[in-house]
Amino acid sequence: MTATAAPATVSRPARTPGAHIGPDWRNGLFIVPFLIVYLGLLIYPLFWGMWISLQQYDMFDQSAIFAGFANFKRLMGDGIFLGTVRNTFLFVLMTVPAFVIIGLALALALNREGRTGATLRAVFFGASVLSVTIVTIIWKMMYLPGIGLISRALGVVGIAPIPFLTSQNMALPAIAATTVWWIIGLPMMLFLAALQQIPGELYEAAALDSAGRWRTLWSITLPSITRTLVVVVIYEIVAQFQLFGQTLLLTQGGPNNSSRSIVLFIYETGFRDWNLGYAAAASEILFLLMAVAAMVQYIASRRREA
Amino acid sequence: MKILSTILLAGAALAGGVAAATAADKTEISVSRFFGACEADYGNVTDVAKANGECGIITALINKFNADSPTTHVKVDIVEWPGYDQLTARIRSGEPPTISVMHEAVISDYSSRGLLEPLDKGFKAVGVDTADFTGAAKAGVTKDGQIYALPFDTHTWLWHVNLNLFKQAGLVDASGNAILPKSADELLAQAKQFKEKTGKPYFVSTLANEKAFYYRTFETLLYQQNSNFFADPTKISLVTPEAKTALTLLKTIFDKDYTTKNEDYAASVAGFSNGEGGVFICGTWLVNSYDEEAKKPGVALSNGYAVAPFPQLYPGSPKVWADGHSWVILKANLTDAQRKSAYEFLKFLWDNDFQWSRTGHLPTSQKILTSAEFMALPFRKVLSPLAQNGTALPAGVKRQFGAQDMEGEEIAAAMRGDKSIDDALASAQDRINTLLANAK
Repeated sequence: MTATAAPATVSRPARTPGAHIGPDWRNGLFIVPFLIVYLGLLIYPLFWGMWISLQQYDMFDQSAIFAGFANFKRLMGDGIFLGTVRNTFLFVLMTVPAFVIIGLALALALNREGRTGATLRAVFFGASVLSVTIVTIIWKMMYLPGIGLISRALGVVGIAPIPFLTSQNMALPAIAATTVWWIIGLPMMLFLAALQQIPGELYEAAALDSAGRWRTLWSITLPSITRTLVVVVIYEIVAQFQLFGQTLLLTQGGPNNSSRSIVLFIYETGFRDWNLGYAAAASEILFLLMAVAAMVQYIASRRREA
Repeated sequence: MKILSTILLAGAALAGGVAAATAADKTEISVSRFFGACEADYGNVTDVAKANGECGIITALINKFNADSPTTHVKVDIVEWPGYDQLTARIRSGEPPTISVMHEAVISDYSSRGLLEPLDKGFKAVGVDTADFTGAAKAGVTKDGQIYALPFDTHTWLWHVNLNLFKQAGLVDASGNAILPKSADELLAQAKQFKEKTGKPYFVSTLANEKAFYYRTFETLLYQQNSNFFADPTKISLVTPEAKTALTLLKTIFDKDYTTKNEDYAASVAGFSNGEGGVFICGTWLVNSYDEEAKKPGVALSNGYAVAPFPQLYPGSPKVWADGHSWVILKANLTDAQRKSAYEFLKFLWDNDFQWSRTGHLPTSQKILTSAEFMALPFRKVLSPLAQNGTALPAGVKRQFGAQDMEGEEIAAAMRGDKSIDDALASAQDRINTLLANAK
């Protein structure tokens, strides 16, 4: 029992002939499935769309006449399209700040343990799982003058019904309000996740320093969730530029083109009028606008961080 | 008890097996249609006479066909009206339905691209008598000398009248019939009187989230002034005195609160039922439903519903906007059995065109149109001339739905005061002509 075993000699296994450490092109095979999907479903359609935008392209016989930038030139003189660009920008300006401010406010209010917090989080996120069809049916019942819920509520206090969806000044804000109600759950959840990552010690230190609520929010909370803030803003800019279902179902782009979005214009031009080249050109402009808007926001946030 | 259960189970399994085998023996064809979904009310109804309304009658018709046909089973795909985006996507992806319902106004868009099967020979083989098609129906489904669809109805624009409110307004004659206006001035005078006596607007209108009311009414008023706004099918002329007159009338009605202003289709259909106004300008498809409603006691329309063709407000043609529902066979690699089944179904629909005409639509069969059976239906004597007067846009006009959408949008903008009448007409003309110039 006293004998001690001689230390075992650990020997490296002999390397398999031909094997080597370091970069190997065969490792790249692991990303091939992803690449196929990415190239097939994103890159190819992107460049194909660009190509179609330079043609007079028929939906069915796929006959195409090269038109150069004629579609783009025509778009620049198309009052309806320019109206949709204006509407889409206005819509983004109405909704994105609302998503950030209301989403953050809700997250701060509901960042607590207990049943009430959990229930309210579920309630606010609940609308996000509804389809656009259901959402627009609900809000149509809210907005319709005379029989809508808002109209009836206003009637109780003696205010005349407001034609939300048939007034060219009210239609787009009404669609924006519907969208905020529908989608607010996602930014709220993203902010909640970020808030829960902030170390409690920071708040304890702030309390010891007698920092007030606003000071704590400004100096600890907001700087700690800056990255999430940027993500929410960029995501919402990209998402809200693609406004479609709500305007199609609530107003069909009217009245007087006041709520027609770029995507609705693309849809009507491509699928109703079968003018694929023109629709593709509008798509490229939308792509450019989204990319620039998201990039500007990203660069601005990087500068602030620096 | 155990033996009984075993017997019942075996019986159920056998019945299920037989039913499955029977269904499997049939050739299945897919039929795409709008007209709504009403499976809850008519899912099992095969007695078509017991069904009412567009949805009820077409559902019962297909149920009956599936029950009676020894060889064919129809699988129904219900689409949201009008469904052409979905149909286009299905055609483009190579999976079109075997048969689809199609407005006659859009047939040429599809037929000119070779997407529809010509039906002349098939109709002859199964016994659909194309010589019996009404003039409007034949014109609607014939493109470049070939028939591309089975015409199912001619539908047009009517005045649905609440007689109870008309009585209250003093707008009925000694026989209790509605006194309808004979000129635009008379219309405005009646509307004023109606509003003063009832406190309600003369018209219930679908002015929200839809463009159909605007262009259908507007085009009717143009026809009544003998305006040939599509003299050249590749160009529309809307900057005309007739167009200005028509739009001025519509705007006056709106400005003077002679119509409901913010109701969508569902709200306006219900609004007329609930007695919100005296006249609902809408289509033939509501005649049957409102007539049934009027038979109920204690409702706004009780014993007080009438319907009439669009009154002649200008001293010109009696033409009125019209279109037609029809059924097309999409070009696809159909087997002989599928093609045979498709024609069998079309023949069945043709044979039951009377049942469809109970909706209020006008039949496409001359024999049915003049039959005692049809004339015995409510209001049909008054409405039957519309089979002649109902007028579609010329067949050479492409992208009719797109063009009429644009027209409706601009008319709406002028009515609501968002644009001047001149600007709206110029804009409509410019947009439609640009669309047509770029349409293949």
